[in-house]
Amino acid sequence: MTTLARKAVDWLDERVGIREAFRENATEYRVPRNINVFYSLGTVLLVLFGLQFLTGILLLAHYVPHPDQAFDSVKRIVNEVPYGWLARNLHAVGSNLAIVVLLLHMLSVIFMGSYKKPRELTWLSGFILFNLGLALCLTGYLLPWSQLSFWATTVSTEAAGSVPVIGEYLVRIARGAPTVGGATLGRFFALHVVVLPLGLLAIIGAHLMLVRRIGISRPPFGKPGEVVKKGVHEDHPDGIPFFPNYVAEEIAVVSFVLAGLFAIAVFSPEVFIPADALEPADPFNTPAHIKPEWYFLWAYQTLKIMPTEFIGLAVQGAFMTFLALLPFVDRKAERHPFRRPLFLSLFVGIIALFIGISVWGHYS
Amino acid sequence: MADNRRRFLVAAIGTTGAALTALVGWPLLRTLTPDSGEGADAQVRVPRKDVPVGGAKFVQYKGKPAVVLQPEPGKFTALSAVCTHLGCIVKFKPEQGDFECPCHGGRFDTKGEVLAGPPPEPLATLAVAVDGDDIVVG
Amino acid sequence: MIPLFTLLFSLSAAAAPADTACLQCHGSMPGRLGAPVEEWKQSVHAANGISCHDCHGGDPTDPANAMSPDRGFLGKPEPTAVPDFCGRCHVGVADDYKGSLHGKALGAGGPNCVTCHGNHAVQRASLAIIDEQRCGACHAPDRAMKIKAALQATDDRIGSLEAALEPLHRQAFDVEDMKGELFQARNDFHRLFHTVQVSRVEAGAGKVGEKLDAVQASIDGVHAEIARRHRWGGVVVGLFVLMGLLGVALRRSLHAEE
Repeated sequence: MTTLARKAVDWLDERVGIREAFRENATEYRVPRNINVFYSLGTVLLVLFGLQFLTGILLLAHYVPHPDQAFDSVKRIVNEVPYGWLARNLHAVGSNLAIVVLLLHMLSVIFMGSYKKPRELTWLSGFILFNLGLALCLTGYLLPWSQLSFWATTVSTEAAGSVPVIGEYLVRIARGAPTVGGATLGRFFALHVVVLPLGLLAIIGAHLMLVRRIGISRPPFGKPGEVVKKGVHEDHPDGIPFFPNYVAEEIAVVSFVLAGLFAIAVFSPEVFIPADALEPADPFNTPAHIKPEWYFLWAYQTLKIMPTEFIGLAVQGAFMTFLALLPFVDRKAERHPFRRPLFLSLFVGIIALFIGISVWGHYS
Repeated sequence: MADNRRRFLVAAIGTTGAALTALVGWPLLRTLTPDSGEGADAQVRVPRKDVPVGGAKFVQYKGKPAVVLQPEPGKFTALSAVCTHLGCIVKFKPEQGDFECPCHGGRFDTKGEVLAGPPPEPLATLAVAVDGDDIVVG
Repeated sequence: MIPLFTLLFSLSAAAAPADTACLQCHGSMPGRLGAPVEEWKQSVHAANGISCHDCHGGDPTDPANAMSPDRGFLGKPEPTAVPDFCGRCHVGVADDYKGSLHGKALGAGGPNCVTCHGNHAVQRASLAIIDEQRCGACHAPDRAMKIKAALQATDDRIGSLEAALEPLHRQAFDVEDMKGELFQARNDFHRLFHTVQVSRVEAGAGKVGEKLDAVQASIDGVHAEIARRHRWGGVVVGLFVLMGLLGVALRRSLHAEE
């Protein structure tokens, strides 16, 4: 290190103690010896969310949230703004990839039983983050004001109408008018660029604080290392240093995910930008075969197959509540999936059910 | 041996990371710096009747305000309307036949020369041609 | 110019026509009175939201008065009135037809619009309808083939340029202008045919060709842009994969000492 850089670090160190902070959180921060690749998904999500913020701000500089201009402004971003196509494709593909990684992160935490005591709040905050992610996707979907935007939002807001008594009122709140229109665009825009990102940032902060405070969970597989308990908090004195050992792994996983993101965004963005997304919204012309995004297909199909939409909504609500409260329902200490046959069969069964319903929804 | 290998790997990751940051960062930064406006509207046509003798017509030229004048019958000139002091747009004073900058009182004559005030340089002169009933700037 | 653009916009909107009073009654009628509904459903008019009343007039919202002349019902045109009937929308081509030998022979054995294009099942005009059978009814067979040959190359070119625009649109490139140019070129060119003079068709093909060259240049520009993006993307993806592999190697090397 040059003397100038060393001086700058010294200066900061004297004031905010960055060397100590780095030691505590990096070189001397020990993670379990049998840590595996799935523990890097949180970092992948941080990078993906960061990229969504960056590309989102760039798009925000050019986007016009008005029904008469939104579609054309996106068209201009993609066709005229230098590299606007890149920002747009990264943002659209990145949102899908973020949902994929959110799902993988959640599924691996469930599979390894990491949500159990004392990490109930870590799980709950993570579950809220997952829902915020879905809400960001839903609200962002409307902004380009394409046929896809308009009709997907019409269908998704319509579903709230089947709630008894207050259903009509809920639809009004969601749309700001009897049908999707300028008022809907305004509130979705506000949610998408201010409310939800702020919520996401705050809860990411809480999530990370909880992860650090409670200590990361020991995977139930492989040779377990030593664990020191300080109250409910865990330490892994014989673990491996987070930096550089596990950071190297995170660099690898993040790089591969970004390679995938850029490959799709540059070579085949149409995978995540359907044909209806290229036609301007027309409130008088519903396109044929309008379908929600892949991550909402399960919800779409459940609404269709239940006797009434309200039962469908109730089933979805019950399932999401069950997921949110999972650590409070499942309170046994055993975490190894192969020693929890009921859990394992439910885990595999529910995933298969979701995939099945989604595929059905896609082809129905 | 392992140390050398590791040092090489760390350096290689650093180099690749820096290359990627530049390769991805530059295009994304470019989204905020669209074309300067030059070229797109490199020539501006003004109807001749819009510029009376002794009058002035303000137009947008290459993304910035400019002014077209007819100091003598049939003779047309054009100047940048951006004050050379701090970039305000000068105002034409027909009664005095000169320009005054409303920000700090700089004054220019119809040739663009500084008459008074803080402007350090004259207003830039722009090329003008007459084409039928139009005056072409640029 | 104006009808051309309204037609262009109605094409891009491609609205499915609503179920009208005409369709409801005639759809259930047997034979002569019901057949046009089925024929029309396969037509280019149906695909672009042009329904019965758009040509025949009348009131599609009121079954009782749907065919009342008071509501503008026109019914079936006389054979000699067909060119004016179609010409209300197809303005330019009607003029060209009327100036041609075909148009001058109207009422004296000359063909009107539906002789070649059919009526209710009308398809998007293509060169396929110029064949020895149709033209041979009045002309020597080689004459039809001669004018078809003069049209074929340019028509094929318009078709292939249109086909080239689709994948570009699918990749979010703005091809509206190019589509408009092609639409106009096709229209100008198909109008030319209705003069039924080989020499004029050949002269016109040259002019249309220039327009098509310009569209081709725009398409080439977009392809060059795609190639640039792919080169850049290839380097970026390659570097990310490289960095991933380096990360794996570093992790392995550190793991050996754990």
